[in-house]
Amino acid sequence: MCCEPLRALHFFSPVQVSIMQRPRLLLIPILLLLLAFPGSKGRYNDDFDDGEDLAEFDDNDFAEFEDMNEDLTAEKESAPPPRVSSAQPEEDEDEDEATVELEDGQDGFEDSDTQVPAHLQNSWESYYMEILMVTGLLAYIMNYIIGKNKNSRLAQAWFNSHKELLESNFALVGDDGTSKEAVSTGKLNQENEHIYNLWCSGRVCCEGMLIQLKFLKRQDLLNVLARMMRPACDQVQVKVTLNDEDMDTFVFAVGTKKAMARMQKEMQDLSEFCGDKPKSGAKYGLPDSLAILSEMGEVTDGVMDNKMVHYITTQAEKIESIHFSDQFSGPKVMQEEGQPLKLPETKKTLLFTFNVPGMGNTSPKDMDSLLPLMNMVIYSIDKVKKLRLNREGKQKADRNRARVEENFLKQTHAQRQEAAQTRREEKKRAEKERIMNEEDPERQRRLEEAAQRREQKKMEKKQMKMKQIKVKAM
Amino acid sequence: MSSNNMADPKRQNKILRYKPPSTESNPTLEDPTPDYMNLLGMIFSMCGLMLKLKWCAWIAVYCSFISFANSRSSEDTKQMMSSFMLSISAVVMSYLQNPQPMSPPW
Repeated sequence: MCCEPLRALHFFSPVQVSIMQRPRLLLIPILLLLLAFPGSKGRYNDDFDDGEDLAEFDDNDFAEFEDMNEDLTAEKESAPPPRVSSAQPEEDEDEDEATVELEDGQDGFEDSDTQVPAHLQNSWESYYMEILMVTGLLAYIMNYIIGKNKNSRLAQAWFNSHKELLESNFALVGDDGTSKEAVSTGKLNQENEHIYNLWCSGRVCCEGMLIQLKFLKRQDLLNVLARMMRPACDQVQVKVTLNDEDMDTFVFAVGTKKAMARMQKEMQDLSEFCGDKPKSGAKYGLPDSLAILSEMGEVTDGVMDNKMVHYITTQAEKIESIHFSDQFSGPKVMQEEGQPLKLPETKKTLLFTFNVPGMGNTSPKDMDSLLPLMNMVIYSIDKVKKLRLNREGKQKADRNRARVEENFLKQTHAQRQEAAQTRREEKKRAEKERIMNEEDPERQRRLEEAAQRREQKKMEKKQMKMKQIKVKAM
Repeated sequence: MSSNNMADPKRQNKILRYKPPSTESNPTLEDPTPDYMNLLGMIFSMCGLMLKLKWCAWIAVYCSFISFANSRSSEDTKQMMSSFMLSISAVVMSYLQNPQPMSPPW
């Protein structure tokens, strides 16, 4: 009954209605909306009669809703069944993730694709790469300490066995060059974990002797592993520097064939003075493993006396190379372009390289076996002092040296010319600049005239020289 | 053994002081390993820090150890210490940013 006036209002336009009765009419659309809503929902439920009064809805507005919600959830449940089943494992997973930190491994999972990330596992096993790395570092450190100690013990053993011999021959045994007074330190100079030096001086026939113990890099694990592939041995290098009067002019070397071939290519003096290929020492009774490089036959005869041959044959396996030279300047140096070449400085030197027996597996006891080699060194120093070439040999030697110098000058002639040219140009430029910079025009003119006069004089001199050459040619 | 029939070969007045051989004249004789390893270590630790690669940082630590083992006694300890510190900081920073364990390359 009361809906009739409302129904009647539908026939009026909303504008007309609002003009007529504003306050009350505002409520009407709201009520309409509220009523329309259950009306529309009512369509889902076929159980309701179409003719049913709205009053029933008014009394129990939300009864519809409640029924509807139940129906909706029922429909929803029937429609997507898999979604529900997946909702449950999701819930289970949430629960499991909450407990996974207490559990070890992934036992609670049926689905093998979902794995717990490693950092959530919180077990040390997952960090195995890091553990490997740290273990490697520890191994390296252990090897460093062991290798360092072994090298140190070997060096000390060498020094102990050679100390007496050295002290009886040299006034100064052991010097690092830093102390104010020349006092024997009496110990080796450690340059590295694998290189030890000893400087001895104060003896007749020589300036001084530098002994370098070049051990293998036992402190570096990489090197130790590399040596397993390619065996190498410790070396003792002795370098004796001589005064000018202590040695005559000759170049000579003896050593293993491999070492001789290498040194002939690398060493400046051997490549220049000993042009022939290394010869066998069988003539003098040397074993086949050794070869000789010599400037001339007379030198070889002079050096290879009985005692020397005896030393070399008995110690052949320990000798890498023996090199006597009055023109020693080290290995060939690669000169850069544009650098004016100068003859390298030479020094009279005796060089010995010995291999320590054991091929890397040396023990301190092996150092005693190097003592005869040091005796050979001392003997060589005295011998070289006494060795003098005869007149023929001396002439040959002088000619060789002159030849080498000439070759050198020829090679560098072009470069020296270039250098001189650039210097002359520089001078000219500097002079021109000076003239330009002169502010006083008078002085400028005078300087220019002076420069011109100098140029003219030079030209005249050149012409005179040309004339003289022509006259001589005639 | 100095011969017994010769006079004592020692001569106090002929003593010459030790002069360390200048390495400028013979650059080939110098072992370049510690310098290369130092440089490599720095490069790897910078890579490890910038690109957040754990294995770079670990290699940098190894390089600085190798450089230390091969170094000459005359070399600056400050250089060694700085390369050590840099490589260790690279490792620590990589793990702070990403605590996951390192995955092997295979």
